[in-house]
Amino acid sequence: MTESKENGITVLAVDGNLDAEGTQALEEKVLALLEAGETSLLFDFSGLDYINSSGLRILVLAYQRLKKASGRVAICGVRDYIQEVFEVSGYDKIFPLFRDRAGAMSGM
Amino acid sequence: MTNRMNCFKRVQPEVERFAAAHGLSPRCTFHLTLCLDELITNIISYGYADFDEHPIDVTITLDKGCVFVRIEDDAAPFNLLEAPPPELEVPLDERTRPIGGMGIHLVKSMMDGIQYTRENGKNILLLRKCICDDGAPAEPPSQQGGTTWQ
Repeated sequence: MTESKENGITVLAVDGNLDAEGTQALEEKVLALLEAGETSLLFDFSGLDYINSSGLRILVLAYQRLKKASGRVAICGVRDYIQEVFEVSGYDKIFPLFRDRAGAMSGM
Repeated sequence: MTNRMNCFKRVQPEVERFAAAHGLSPRCTFHLTLCLDELITNIISYGYADFDEHPIDVTITLDKGCVFVRIEDDAAPFNLLEAPPPELEVPLDERTRPIGGMGIHLVKSMMDGIQYTRENGKNILLLRKCICDDGAPAEPPSQQGGTTWQ
């Protein structure tokens, strides 16, 4: 997981698997960022191979917290089969999904 | 496997091996891994009132263009076919049900058939997923969920 900041947006690039362990690490990172007052989060999933409902729950947590703070959450770079998970769960209607990081930076 | 094991780390290599042996597509492999991870994580997280080690037996087979998965456990009775669907049409902030139903919804959407029985103190779950000749899932995931098959 790599964290960077571009144009006031905090980018979390998550590689590999968001299994139980990966999700726990992501939750700790997201909570720390929210605690630190970050209001714009972009999850770059271009290197992500796997996500389950626990991983999705962290994204929802970020969305719910940031909505209260007039913040923004977006996701970019998801693979086709992971995009399906967003569609089946209905979360594609909640999170802006961008093709890549550049698209997200100009669209957020 | 047992309820003491790391679910994903135990399941994923087995599914990958099965998928490689039978030429399943990455998408189909992902669907199978996700469904097993969701279901077995549920069993481990909510199924046991004690702290003992319990067996969870998983079998994956391929027959007549379908992958069949059988999960047998001695956890508390749980019929996922009776679990309420998540409130997909309700805005996130207004949902009253806990968010935990999403994993089961994903399973119902990605499998083509689900059958549950309780026998001799055990949950027996049978899943069916149809695949195309190229190893890809035969049908796109639906929001309607799975059906019971005999």
